[in-house]
Amino acid sequence: MNRALPEMLHCLNMPGNVASGGGTADISVLERQRARMKWQQDQHFLIGNHELNVFSAQQLHQLQGSVSNDPGFAEYVTRALKPDPGMESGWPDVGKFGGDDHLGYGACGYGNVSGIEMNYEAIARTVSCPPTVAAAISEAAVTETKGKESILPEKLNSAAGRESFKKRKADKNHNLKVVAEEDVKDKRIKGCAEEGDSKITEQNSSSKANISNNNNRETSTDTSTKENSKVTEVQKPDYIHVRARRGQATDSHSLAERVRREKISERMKYLQDLVPGCNKITGKAGMLDEIINYVQSLQRQVEFLSMKLAAVNPRLDFNIENIFTKEIFPACASTYPTIEVSSEMANPAYFQLSPLQQVVSCCGLEMGINPPDMALKRTTSAPVSIPETFLDSSCFNQIQATSTWDSELQNLYSMEFQQGRSTTFPSQTFTGSIEGGNLKMEM
Amino acid sequence: MHSPSQLKRDFLKQWLKGLQMCNYPKKEMSILERKKAIKLSADVAMASTRNATSCWSLALIANASKDGNNKCLVEHLLGQESERLKMASTFQLAILNKKLRSKKIIKKSCSVRRVKKLAPRMVLASSVAKRLAKNRTQLLKSLVPGGESMDEFSLIKETLDYIVSLRVQVDVMRCLANASDLLNCKGVHG
Repeated sequence: MNRALPEMLHCLNMPGNVASGGGTADISVLERQRARMKWQQDQHFLIGNHELNVFSAQQLHQLQGSVSNDPGFAEYVTRALKPDPGMESGWPDVGKFGGDDHLGYGACGYGNVSGIEMNYEAIARTVSCPPTVAAAISEAAVTETKGKESILPEKLNSAAGRESFKKRKADKNHNLKVVAEEDVKDKRIKGCAEEGDSKITEQNSSSKANISNNNNRETSTDTSTKENSKVTEVQKPDYIHVRARRGQATDSHSLAERVRREKISERMKYLQDLVPGCNKITGKAGMLDEIINYVQSLQRQVEFLSMKLAAVNPRLDFNIENIFTKEIFPACASTYPTIEVSSEMANPAYFQLSPLQQVVSCCGLEMGINPPDMALKRTTSAPVSIPETFLDSSCFNQIQATSTWDSELQNLYSMEFQQGRSTTFPSQTFTGSIEGGNLKMEM
Repeated sequence: MHSPSQLKRDFLKQWLKGLQMCNYPKKEMSILERKKAIKLSADVAMASTRNATSCWSLALIANASKDGNNKCLVEHLLGQESERLKMASTFQLAILNKKLRSKKIIKKSCSVRRVKKLAPRMVLASSVAKRLAKNRTQLLKSLVPGGESMDEFSLIKETLDYIVSLRVQVDVMRCLANASDLLNCKGVHG
């Protein structure tokens, strides 16, 4: 990898026409700058966004002279600009830099501004290496519709890129030869093009295609530009093309593994949102720990609450809610004067209730409907006082809530029962004939 | 996906229905029996709200139906859905078991081929990490109903679903418990 740097530079310079004389001097300056930048990146990775921004801004200005317009590259960048919402904050600043090529670097640099860690990480790594930048951005463009997934290829790309960066760090002090070997150069360019070509979806049967592509590195450089322009093709939703990244194995197993891992990490992100306190943890094992704790705590809560409910209700009858709702309803009863509650009036009343009360009133209603059945069954053992209390309140609830809950209850309760209920209610007044109504219902 | 309040209402309805059903056969139940009944109806109600769209709910229903005592309760609670759900659950379980078995066979046959060529230290680190993750996945599988027969990817999706449902369950139960508490207090004082 000793010749990595100049080849990367050549990779960029190839598509355009660079004055050869000026080119040589610039290249050596460039590569020194790149090496420095990389070294600084490695050192300052954790320090902050703005430092890298400043640094990359410097880089951009310095690279101004030597870098020619790469139309294909600019193409990726413009496409990348649109979809990624996370980077929108950074994009307005890009306009400061003139020219399309600057746009690319500016994009990379200002990608750091976005709050997304992974974007930052990925693009920080890729600033120093235009081909991988192209790869990252093209990947972002291609996977735009997948939302979070677009971050992952960059991240993984950066993971691969990191390995090569570390190797190039050692080259910092070397005075690199300008003349690069043709075949090695071609390999690099081909590698760039292929990295830029990843389209990620479902199957891994195209791993064979990947392997054959990897074997084609000896082809001429002309195809590289063509491939670069093909990057942003619309991907077929049927199956996945997964390219082997540089420095990784190319057999189908590891490719499948990689796709699987990406899918899993995407899902883990949703879990992060769901489980409280998971935002700071990034490792898979830590996340799993939190998830397990959360699920266990929820299950324990269910156990505890069911125990509590069992302790509170000696007979599992839950009629006590009716009394509770009776306490609530007087407050609401004042809001509407008549007993015959139309559905329109009942609805605002229920909106006033808190969710708890709503829930309770709902169950109170259901209790109200079922107790007649239970009363029938309990003829022998039921004391007189209890039916009175619950029927009292149940009728109360029913008067309040009939019209609103009718539609909901239809699927739960038999039709005949409802008909029986509806016939009794219109005739009832609030105080007087409730007992009469109760007796009717008991029958 | 339903709104949470809609989910809560559905769950509550089913649950209370189940509780009433529990109450019919016996008049007197010990506290533990009551607790079991409450929990069971809650679980089955939760599973039924999912309407056989998720694996864990089917597994839960299947487990509940296995026990003879609970079977009739489950059937009553689910109503006409019960047959369909049971069929779906047994079918799915069979498929998953098959998948699991075939995966194990493949793993055993392939394990010899793949040899890692990393440095010893890296191997150690990665294998430790893998072991940790593996332990935790096993634990998670034991927590989520029906999790044993799932691969890791669908396990996470099921966990997501299960967590949402558990939350709804806890919320509703807590409301009911609070209401009962308040009623008891009022009953004592008034």
